[in-house]
Amino acid sequence: MKEITEAEILEVLRQVIDPEIGCNIVDLGLVYNITITGGRVGITMTLTTPGCPMHESIRWGVEQALLQTEGVAEVEVALVWDPPWNPSMMTDVGRAMTGVRTL
Amino acid sequence: MEVLSPTSPAAKTPPARAAAPIAPFGANAPAIKLPLAFILTGVLALLTGVTALVLRPATLSAYHYNQYVIALTHLFVLGWICTIVMGAMYQLVPVALETKLYSEKLALCQFAFHVVGFSGMVCMFWTWNMKSVGHFGSVFAVGIVLFVYNIARTLLRVPNWNVVATAVTAALGWLTFTIIAGLSLAATKCAYALADSDGPATAPKHFLETISGFVGRFDPIGAMHAHAHLGVVGCFTLLIIGISYKLIPMFTLSEVQSRRRAALSVALLNLGLAGAFVTILLRSPWKLAFAAMLVAAVAIYGWELAAILRARKRRALDWGIRYFLTAVGFLLPLSLLALVLSWPALPLTPFTGQLENLYGFLGLVGVITFAMIGMLYKIVPFLVWFGRYSREIGRKKVPALADLYSPRLQAVGYWAYLAGVTATSAGIIAAREIPVRAGCALLLLSVLTFLLNVISMLTHFIKPRIEPLAISSVTTPKLA
Repeated sequence: MKEITEAEILEVLRQVIDPEIGCNIVDLGLVYNITITGGRVGITMTLTTPGCPMHESIRWGVEQALLQTEGVAEVEVALVWDPPWNPSMMTDVGRAMTGVRTL
Repeated sequence: MEVLSPTSPAAKTPPARAAAPIAPFGANAPAIKLPLAFILTGVLALLTGVTALVLRPATLSAYHYNQYVIALTHLFVLGWICTIVMGAMYQLVPVALETKLYSEKLALCQFAFHVVGFSGMVCMFWTWNMKSVGHFGSVFAVGIVLFVYNIARTLLRVPNWNVVATAVTAALGWLTFTIIAGLSLAATKCAYALADSDGPATAPKHFLETISGFVGRFDPIGAMHAHAHLGVVGCFTLLIIGISYKLIPMFTLSEVQSRRRAALSVALLNLGLAGAFVTILLRSPWKLAFAAMLVAAVAIYGWELAAILRARKRRALDWGIRYFLTAVGFLLPLSLLALVLSWPALPLTPFTGQLENLYGFLGLVGVITFAMIGMLYKIVPFLVWFGRYSREIGRKKVPALADLYSPRLQAVGYWAYLAGVTATSAGIIAAREIPVRAGCALLLLSVLTFLLNVISMLTHFIKPRIEPLAISSVTTPKLA
C-alpha cells in the first residue's frame, strides 16, 4: 500500500465542509495537525465554536473522507479547543468564501 | 506538523474498499421526526391563524374580549408558539446544554395530548363552550406535565450549568404556573355556568366552586392579563432571550461579552415578571415599577446582544438572523407601550383599548412570531441536513445549510412581514379594518414564503442533492 502525504490529506479534507459556515474545514483553518504513520493518519482539529451541534457530523466526515482514500487504513480524529479557533487561521480562500473577518 | 512517512505519492482516486461501519454519532439530538412533527404542526397553526385574521380583521381593529379573539389568541399562543417552542426545546435543549433528551417516547406521547388539547380548546373557545374548554384544557395540561417532566429530567443531566440552563428552568416553572392559572380561569367560568344550572351538588362542582371562589376575588380582566403575561413573558420571551445567548454567538461567530450582564437580564426578567403578575392581578399602581423592571431587563439584553454582534467575526448577517434581530427591535415600541399601559389609573377609553390590542399584537406577532421564524430558518435546515446528509459528508459532496432554501424567498418574506406588522399596527391604532386586513394579507404572504422554503427543505429527504467528491488542487495552508 502506498503512503499518503500531508498535502494529499489536506486535499481530501477540502471535501469536508462545515455546513453552517459553508466552507471546507481546511480553508476554514480548523485542521491543526496531521500525523502519518504508515497507513495510520491522526488529525488534530478544532471547530469554530465549542458545543457546535455539527461537531459529530464533521468529525464523521473527516474519518469517512480519509478512509475512502488509498493509503489510509486507520484514522484518529482528536477535537481540541486549545488554541481556540480564530479567523486569522483561515486561508485567503476561506475568508473570501465566507466573508469572515480577521480580528 | 509531524509527518512521519511522507515518502510515496498518494492516490487521489476513489475508494478501494467498503465504507467503515457507521459510528454512533448524533447521540445528543433526538430523532428528526420528533421536532419536525412539532414544527410542521406549528406552521400549520400559524397559517390558519393569519388566514383567520385576514378574514376577520375586526379581531384587531376593534376592542378585544370576544370568543373569536380568545380562540385566535389561543391558536397563536398554543397552536403556533407553544408547539414550536416545544419542538425546538426537544431539539435544542440537549444540543445547547450538551446532554441527551430524557425520553423521546414520552415526547411523542405528549405531542398527541398537545395537538388534541390545543385544537379542541381553540374550537371550543370559538363556539364558547367553556365546559369543553376545561376538558380539552385538561388534556393539554396532561401534555404540559409530560413536557415539563421530560425537560426537567433532561436538565438534571446537564453537565455544565449556565445562564441558558437557568433561563430554560425558569421558563418551565412559568409555563407550569401559566397552565394552572389558565385552568383556574376556565374552572371559574365553568363554575359560573354550573351555578346557573339546577343539577345536584357533586364533588367536581364543589371543587370548581372553591376555585371560582378564590379566583373570583380578583378582577377578571386583571386575572386574564396576568395569565397572559405569565405565558408570554415568563415562558416565551425568557426562552427566546435565554436560548439566543447560545445561538446568536454560535451563528455569528461571536461570544457572550459579559456573563454578568446576561445573567442580570435573565434575573431581572424573572423578578419583574413575578412582581408584574401580582400587581396586574391586583390592579395595583405598583405594576408600573415592575413594568419598568421588565423594560430594564430587555434593555440590558439589547445591550449585551449589541456587544455580541459588535464582536462577531462573521460580517454578513443572514436573513434568519435579520428576522430575529428585527423582532428584537420591536421590543422597543413594545416596552414603551408596556410603560404607558401600566400607568396608574389609566382610563379605559376606545383608544387605550386599541393600544392594548396593539400591545398584544406586537408581543405575539411583532416580536415572538418574527423571532421564531428567524430561528426556524436556522433550526429547520439543521434538522433536514442532519437527517439527510450527516452520514454522507466526507463520502459525497453535500450542500451547506444555506443551500437548502431560497434566500430570495427569505428576503420577500422578511420585507412582507415588516410591512405587514407596520400596516397592521397602524390599522389597530386607527381602529380601521382595511389597513389591518392589508397588513395581515402581507403577513400571510410572508408565512407562505416561509412555508414554501420549509417544503423546499423537506424535498431534500426525497430528492437529495448529492454529488461525487471532486478533489482539486488548491493552495496548501500553513497549519498551526
